[in-house]
Amino acid sequence: MASKTDTSGQAVYHFAHAKAKKAFIIKHWPLYVISIPGLLYFALFKYVPLLGSVIAFQNYNIFKGITGSPWVGFDHFKRMFAYDEFLVILKNTLLIGLYDLIFAFPVPIILALLLNEIRHSGYKRVVQTVVYMPHFLSWVIVGGIIVGLLSPTTGVINHALALFHIEPIYFLGENSYIRSILIGSGIWKDSGWGTIIYLAAIAGINPDLYEAAEIDGAGRFRQVMSITLPSILPVIAILFLLQIGRFMDFGFERVFVFLNSLNSGNGEILDTYVYRAGLIDRQYSYTTAIGLFKSCVGLLLIILGNTFSKKMTGDGLY
Amino acid sequence: MKKTIIVSLVAVMALSVLAGCGGGTKTEESQGKADAPAKPLKFSLSLPVTTTAGYQARVTDWKNDKLVKQLEKLTNTELTVRITEDSKMSVMFAGNDIPDVVGSIGTPTSKSMAGSVEAGVFMPLDDLLKQYAPNLMKKVPKAAWDAVSHNGKIYGIPDYLSNPSRRGTYIRTDLLEKAGLKPPQTIDEFLNVLRAFKKMGVENPYQMRDSFKYADVVLGAYDVLPYKDQFEVVNGQVQPKFFDVDNMEKALQTYKTMLDEGLIPKDFATISSADYSKSINSGKAGAWSANATGLISFRTPIRQVVPDAKVDIIPSPKGPEGKGGYFFYIPAVRTFYINKNVDKERAIGIVKFYEWMTSEEAEKFFTFGIEGENYTLDNGKMNYKIPTTKEEQEEESFRQGTLWMGQDATLSPPRKRLELDQNGKDVLSAFDNVLNMEGLPGIGFYPDLTAFAKYPDLAPPQPDVGPKLIIDHMVKMIYGKEPIADWPKVIEEYKAKGGNEILKEANERYSKKEGVLEIKR
Repeated sequence: MASKTDTSGQAVYHFAHAKAKKAFIIKHWPLYVISIPGLLYFALFKYVPLLGSVIAFQNYNIFKGITGSPWVGFDHFKRMFAYDEFLVILKNTLLIGLYDLIFAFPVPIILALLLNEIRHSGYKRVVQTVVYMPHFLSWVIVGGIIVGLLSPTTGVINHALALFHIEPIYFLGENSYIRSILIGSGIWKDSGWGTIIYLAAIAGINPDLYEAAEIDGAGRFRQVMSITLPSILPVIAILFLLQIGRFMDFGFERVFVFLNSLNSGNGEILDTYVYRAGLIDRQYSYTTAIGLFKSCVGLLLIILGNTFSKKMTGDGLY
Repeated sequence: MKKTIIVSLVAVMALSVLAGCGGGTKTEESQGKADAPAKPLKFSLSLPVTTTAGYQARVTDWKNDKLVKQLEKLTNTELTVRITEDSKMSVMFAGNDIPDVVGSIGTPTSKSMAGSVEAGVFMPLDDLLKQYAPNLMKKVPKAAWDAVSHNGKIYGIPDYLSNPSRRGTYIRTDLLEKAGLKPPQTIDEFLNVLRAFKKMGVENPYQMRDSFKYADVVLGAYDVLPYKDQFEVVNGQVQPKFFDVDNMEKALQTYKTMLDEGLIPKDFATISSADYSKSINSGKAGAWSANATGLISFRTPIRQVVPDAKVDIIPSPKGPEGKGGYFFYIPAVRTFYINKNVDKERAIGIVKFYEWMTSEEAEKFFTFGIEGENYTLDNGKMNYKIPTTKEEQEEESFRQGTLWMGQDATLSPPRKRLELDQNGKDVLSAFDNVLNMEGLPGIGFYPDLTAFAKYPDLAPPQPDVGPKLIIDHMVKMIYGKEPIADWPKVIEEYKAKGGNEILKEANERYSKKEGVLEIKR
């Protein structure tokens, strides 16, 4: 990935005239044939299903199909914006996405830098494995563990608070804690896993740079700030852009396991709302409309982010 | 020119035959065979399940399954059986891969039917049933036939409930005896019993749960259950029962008292069904609400922890108006529909197949299984081999609960099986002597009110869970985050956020008697 900056994309062939181009294609025809299944795969399984999104503009009925269902224009979008709680839910979605970006995104980077400084390779490997582990647990299990930890009667955290004579706090029963719990649990579960790409990028840094820096008298911290961090910056930029594209996709399960009547005012996001609305009476079109809205916002953010990143660092996703 | 037409016609016909095959086992198999009575009736059948675990997970070839084979032998049929998870029903419909008989959990307009009955995928059965299934018509109560009707026509054959009151109030009789108290009859007495339990060190005197699910004994006593089929008529107008401000406030106050005094878990808003079962089964709960058929499944684990524990179902504590218990279930549990592409002869055969389900022969087969394998007869006396291994138990529950269609689903296992041991007799007595006397009737709308779909926050997501807006306020009031005296404001909020539309539609449909189901005993 690091080499991408040097070559600035792949070599581009220029042909003198069309004939030469044709000859080139004929010469390499097996390569073009080999690419067909891959292209078909993407067309069939990625692009064709996209067309199904048109049901957002219909009153879709599975027995009538897309061709038979009546068209209703933007009715479902209007209904979405007219919904009383829509602004609250959108605000929650955006805020939680933003907090995730601010607080959860840097953690794997810091963790990777710290791991990189561990000299004892055996210890490093153990730590790495331990921090990866939670990634393999499903959100239902993580949710169960965290609900247990935070319980006001049996939870470890409240027992610890009791040592300081603090009254037990019903963490999941308060609007004010839910967002921190959502972000915190995400950090616990996935930041270890997130270090993998950064560690790979760090491993690709030329050791000569460190040697030269050491000779010049740079300390460890100086080396991190002036060599490691700038070297993995392109990787950080790309992952940041991808993260922005998923801004609205915080995830359904990880929120749903923590939601209840007492905290849904600050915790409910679009995904959980779609689930609730979809549960009642097969609202294929309405829920698709919400999904489509989310995707469009995501696309817009990614385009903006990419343009911005290209201007700033000269590097982008495409 | 002519030749081309013929060739293309042949091609089209060949294609349509192919398409017919691809579409599943439709009509082609049986044509011309049905009128020869000796030949077995062939049809395909989808059995609904909530989970693919259990007996059905172990059967790979339904053609050669011993239970299916025995059923075929008894009914002179040839069945193509498949198992469909309730959550995958819409996939089956969307793929247009619909067998001759489709079973589903719920009624014709349930979500799992994906609107197929309204779309005319299945045939109305009134005439067939009247002519060919007189016993079935008689045995299934009218309320259940009403529940499986759509626009006045019967579309399915239901597993019915002869007793719509299915949940009961459980209590640890051993704790009650230790406290020297009698079973509570009113909510006040109930609270006193819980207080005594608390003093004795019981962790959760009443095992409360999130969303009031299986934790609604107080709501029942005040008759303010916020559920889907709990509308009532007040001054000639249909309205949800939670509109009863006075009783709702009292019920909420009772819950608040219980929370403040530690009679229910402090974090009940996050107590899941798993936590609930764990707490009860480890002997930490003094009283709780649950399905009455679960009596045995509570007794066994609790006794492993507390050897002298006694678990019983008592009459639910009554509220000030003498009401009590839990909501009445809609009297159709599963329903079986016949594909409209099935020709008349075979449809008659299928209806007769369900008529057979009411026979004694059927009851014996589904209850006790296969002679020689599951039971022996000594001079007419039933010697049933009670299942001991998990595999045998799963086979039994598949036979009794999944394969037996058009049955009285009130009791599981069936009555004759329950009569065999003491636990079973206790379950029977709970149904016949306790649940029979309590429970809360209501009015429901089938198909759902269309306004529900427009306002998901006001629609009950499940038959036994209230609308989010209502539940949220109730929980907040119990936790003291909102004053209980604000309940009238909650009703105003409900009305303003779409409730007026719900009320209007409910009243219009009620006065026109369109898809109105009065759920009563």
